[in-house]
Amino acid sequence: MEQKKLIGYACAYTPLALIHAAGFTPYRILPDKDCPDQAGLILHDNLCPHVKRILDRAMDNQLPDLDGMVFMNSCDSMRRLADAWQQARPDIKMTLVDLPITSSDRDCAFFQGELQELSSTLEEWKGETLTPERLTGSIQIYNSLAENLEKLNTELQRGSTYNGAGLLQSTCLKASCTAPEEMVAEVESLIGSAGEEQQKDNSVPIYLFGNVLPDAEAFKMFAECGAGIVRDDLCTGSRLFAEVATRAEGLDDLLLDYAAGILNRQPCARTIVEAQPGKLAKDVIAGAKQYQVKGVIGYSLKFCDPYIARLPGIRAALKAEGIPFLMLEGDCTNRSIGQQKTRIEAFIEMLR
Amino acid sequence: MMKEYFEELENGLQTAIDNNQGSIRMLYSLEIARLGKRLYSGEDKVAWCGIIAPFDLLSALDVTSCFVEFIGAMMAATNVAGDLIEETNHIGYSSDSCSYHRAVMGATMKELMPKPELLIGTTCPCSGGLAVIENLAAHFEKSFYLLQIPQDQAPKNVRYLADQMREMVSFVTKITGIPMDTEKVKFAMETSNKIREVLIEIFNLAKQVPSPVTGKDLSNFGIVMALFSGTESGLALAEAFRDELKQRSQNLTASGSNEKFRLLWIQNRIQFKNPIEKLLEDQYGAKIVIDELNDVTWGAVDPDDPYEGLASRAISIPFNGPAQNRVQHLQRLAEEYQVHGAINPCNWGCRQGTGSRGLIEASLKEIGVPVLNLEVDCIDHKKFTEGQFRTRVEAFMEMMDS
Ligand code: SF4
Ligand code: SF4
Repeated sequence: MEQKKLIGYACAYTPLALIHAAGFTPYRILPDKDCPDQAGLILHDNLCPHVKRILDRAMDNQLPDLDGMVFMNSCDSMRRLADAWQQARPDIKMTLVDLPITSSDRDCAFFQGELQELSSTLEEWKGETLTPERLTGSIQIYNSLAENLEKLNTELQRGSTYNGAGLLQSTCLKASCTAPEEMVAEVESLIGSAGEEQQKDNSVPIYLFGNVLPDAEAFKMFAECGAGIVRDDLCTGSRLFAEVATRAEGLDDLLLDYAAGILNRQPCARTIVEAQPGKLAKDVIAGAKQYQVKGVIGYSLKFCDPYIARLPGIRAALKAEGIPFLMLEGDCTNRSIGQQKTRIEAFIEMLR
Repeated sequence: MMKEYFEELENGLQTAIDNNQGSIRMLYSLEIARLGKRLYSGEDKVAWCGIIAPFDLLSALDVTSCFVEFIGAMMAATNVAGDLIEETNHIGYSSDSCSYHRAVMGATMKELMPKPELLIGTTCPCSGGLAVIENLAAHFEKSFYLLQIPQDQAPKNVRYLADQMREMVSFVTKITGIPMDTEKVKFAMETSNKIREVLIEIFNLAKQVPSPVTGKDLSNFGIVMALFSGTESGLALAEAFRDELKQRSQNLTASGSNEKFRLLWIQNRIQFKNPIEKLLEDQYGAKIVIDELNDVTWGAVDPDDPYEGLASRAISIPFNGPAQNRVQHLQRLAEEYQVHGAINPCNWGCRQGTGSRGLIEASLKEIGVPVLNLEVDCIDHKKFTEGQFRTRVEAFMEMMDS
């Protein structure tokens, strides 16, 4: 397959299908490389480690050849990363796409305009002109990928595969940096074979939510501790790929459908439903109940304001429901999650 | 407790002012006490808001509105913020977040936050502030409306926000049951425009060399004046400041000044009692002549159709959009006010304050303005170590003096 040009991105709300339709492969810059800590020269230590490690990668030239970088205006830290990027890597073009926090009709229309602007920017970056056919095609490919990942998830939930969550996670991570056409087939081949191992798995079913955990080792450790993650809600996990329903045919309406699809997908803490303040806590409870778990593990990076502010509410709501909860905090290093092994083990023991 | 506090404060200040012992700063505190009293009266329709909500429009809709961080600052000024912040540890509110917000959450847990009628969140200046508004809405089980502030002044962005403001009016009037009075709105906008003109005069006076302001005079001024916008008392307060500074300016010309260094203060001041202004002035002849938020970055608003103007005003706040906006704004202020140095408190937990620290420092250095980056928690006096703080400030001033 011909190697497409790459566009970097860093947030689960990025319109991947639009970038793909412009003739690029979206490539997620994960905060998972071991780079010297240089971001502190530009960003303060109390910024989220997700953005600092991405900046470390950029400053250490640990990036593939990128034709540009698309940032989403998802939180303060992301904005600061976009600012810092211009100083650290002026050689890589970047753009910041505004991202509404709610999803009213007006917000969707506004976001449609942002997507329109992004497509012009991508065109300037030597991308293809956006046509309804191209966009529809790309949305369909990503929908197939999302569908396959969901099927794989369902299969893994049966618990017949040891560390199924780890397999799903590494697949999602690979998909976040790979052309979707390749991944659709790859995930399809995994679906059939996932249950074959038939290894005895007596793990405790757990619902995992949080932000950025791009670390396969962490999932291995969860499995070793006896935590069977039956569903994740992470921005480096299942939240990145979700089906988007589009009905329209003209480009404007198609973009509007796509904008609405992105704004209405499973939300992270930066997204709000005005009519239901504190909804994130309700979502976590609904997830825990739907997947009939015995406990919930939350994972958040330090200094993440959207999660920091919602965690007390989530904690209280889970307590009120009698659902056991363990909160972990990390900094995008294996070390930080490794240090919490004893706590995870104790939590799982308590649930058995 | 808070109601009594503000009542006593108001009475004390009023007496001093009546006895002709009042300074402009006292008039300012009097207005704050009156706002505090209204917020805690249990009689007014109160709206807790984000920092850049349109307070003049809300006041024309008969709503007493205030940004929540104001309460954090008040708690700090009365030295109770530290205990309230500790309170939030019990609910698992991370100490890595901004203390303004932790103090507000602590005050809520201790039932020191009056129950609002409604809430208006703003996406600028920070994710943490918006989250607190959502938390308060959940806690008080009250409706909230969110104003999403786009990144720049592109016409489509202004329209997007203006439409939200229109909708906000319907949201508010539906909840309060008080219909919008167009004449009242018009009056509020006209008054805001007059205040705007006076603020420009005040800031121009502060620019003079030597400056007629003391380091304390305009502390928190711009951000707090927004709460009084659209009101006659706000206009009277602004005029009092202008007249006093004019007077001082004339006297200064006659008597000379001991102003040696002029400083720019970045973002917000330290809100609890601390020795900074006195130390700077007494020991080094250094004066804070300009605070980052003491500026008029917006144009007059059309009183007959204010929404686009109000939207543009909100977008113009230097904390909005890319850090480059902030950086250029600070460079301009540094040049216009002819400052010799700048102090950035880098409030712990603030991704605005600390987030752009490196870019700000580099850009001011570029125009020959050294920056002192402190690491202070501007709200939690319990974390304040005066000795260390003094050493840093002294070293900076001595470096400038040499
Ligand atoms: S982890 Fe939190 S602070 Fe960091 S980029 Fe994601 S939402 Fe923003
Ligand atoms: S100090 Fe920073 S984080 Fe705190 S309220 Fe102000 S802008 Fe928001």
